[in-house]
Amino acid sequence: MHEPAVQLDGVSFSRGTRKIFANIDMRIATGKITAVMGPSGTGKTTLLRLIGGQLLPRQGTVRVFGQQVSTLRHAELYQLRKRMGMLFQSSALLTDLDVFENVAFPLRAHTKLTERLIRDIVLMKLEIVGLRGARRLRVEELSGGMARRVALARAIVLDPEMVLYDEPFVGLDPISMGAIVRALKTINEVLRITSVIVTHDVVEVVSIADEVFLLADGRIEGHGAPHALYDDSSPWVKQFMHGLADGPVPFHYPAPSLMNDFLEV
Amino acid sequence: MIFWKYNLMQQFMDLFAALGRAVLFLFHALLLMGAALLRPRLVIKQIYSIGVMSLLIIILSGGFVGAVLAFQGYETMVDFGATDALGIMVALALLRELGPVVGALLFAGRAGSALSAEIGLMRATEQLSAMEMMAVDPMARVIAPRLLGGMLAMPLLAAIFNVVGIYGGYLIGVEVLGVDRGSFWSQIQHGVEWGKDIGNSLIKSFIFGVVVTWIAVYNGYTAEPSPEGVGRATTLTVVLSSVIVLALDFVLTAIMFGG
Ligand SMILES: Nc1ncnc2c1ncn2[C@@H]1O[C@H](COP(=O)(O)OP(=O)(O)OP(=O)(O)O)[C@@H](O)[C@H]1O
Ligand SMILES: [Mg+2]
Repeated sequence: MHEPAVQLDGVSFSRGTRKIFANIDMRIATGKITAVMGPSGTGKTTLLRLIGGQLLPRQGTVRVFGQQVSTLRHAELYQLRKRMGMLFQSSALLTDLDVFENVAFPLRAHTKLTERLIRDIVLMKLEIVGLRGARRLRVEELSGGMARRVALARAIVLDPEMVLYDEPFVGLDPISMGAIVRALKTINEVLRITSVIVTHDVVEVVSIADEVFLLADGRIEGHGAPHALYDDSSPWVKQFMHGLADGPVPFHYPAPSLMNDFLEV
Repeated sequence: MIFWKYNLMQQFMDLFAALGRAVLFLFHALLLMGAALLRPRLVIKQIYSIGVMSLLIIILSGGFVGAVLAFQGYETMVDFGATDALGIMVALALLRELGPVVGALLFAGRAGSALSAEIGLMRATEQLSAMEMMAVDPMARVIAPRLLGGMLAMPLLAAIFNVVGIYGGYLIGVEVLGVDRGSFWSQIQHGVEWGKDIGNSLIKSFIFGVVVTWIAVYNGYTAEPSPEGVGRATTLTVVLSSVIVLALDFVLTAIMFGG
């Protein structure tokens, strides 16, 4: 049995007075695809930042590759981060560099590879996301979906042991979506890269994930193999997996009744 | 009454806390400067972009300031028959005060605000965050080279301001108002001292360069990650560095020329 790539024990985290996580435990299996889903604003991005050591838990421990993140010194943390890639929800490409240089950035920072080799690696990664021909475009010339794909190429350019994907499918048309889903699967299978995917796309997740965590209200509402979750009896899990508007999770932000709002002058 | 006092206390505490954070930030960046020097390409790129950004307004303003100095100096001196000293008057006013001070104010308005906006935008678009996750320290990669670039660019810009200013004074004083060309230049040659005037001028502009760039990168780095936050950081940079440059100039002048 492998040691889990990520292990959260009793983790609590708050923003000001707002509790984002209350005492959650989580194991993310090495070499598997783990999906994290949940309504908007539940803390999925926050979870990735806790794993990456950009945020530290109020209580509990976060272990990545067996190392407790909060006790690491600056240099050790940076050493650890070289072993993971992260796709930011906002893509977060460096705006003073073009597509090629964005993908090459981690290589230039952390390796002493020759220019020739850097070029080959970057083009290979860009080929995976279908943007080899766009390598000389500037960041502001990219559409949202293209930027996500460049960011994806950048996240995997160092061949990390684990990649954290924050909403990799947002802004992709069905064709790119299919290609990217297949790419994620391939990256995981061929390179044995542990993948953590934050997403809302239930269908895509079911097709590729080995395990799913459902987050809501600072708790883990359900986890297991995706097909098992489809048949889960918990009303919350059922509502989320089947996308029902009615159920324990309200679609509406808390508000007075519609009638009252209309009658009010 | 109590509330009022508490508020004032609180504000003072906040001010000192902010100052403390800014000082720690500066030391952190200074510590990383050695590493920045090992990658001179980044620093040179910064000197270039910061310098080129401000070059045009520095040249234009320098010329006009020197010209105005010549007009005003001539007006006063002509009554005493002292117009031969116009050159030295223009040169000293520029070297000792106007070059470093006006240069720094222009630098704050042009390069300082741009630095704050650039770094604030990098913060708002999570580029700094992304660098951290790629195990690239933004303090070393983004802040240290810019701080160093600003520190080195400012004295160069002030020197250009001085030279252009003196030439502007020459054009007005000699070519327009008819001051003797020979005495204009020879007075400057004899009157300007290396250490006291040129040295102090460089020291002043170096210190102003450190202060303005420090304020600019700090405000950008700590900007709220939103368009308004970036706007506020940019404004704050210009206002704060202008006031601090003027106050600091008073202190430096008192130290250099007061005794
Ligand atoms: N910098 C911040 N300061 C204060 N609160 C924050 C900050 N970032 C996020 N939050 C809050 O933390 C909560 C969780 O945010 P997070 O970004 O992790 O949500 P998410 O699950 O990723 O949502 P989405 O699916 O919309 O991306 C939200 O309620 C948000 O308001
Ligand atoms: Mg998110």
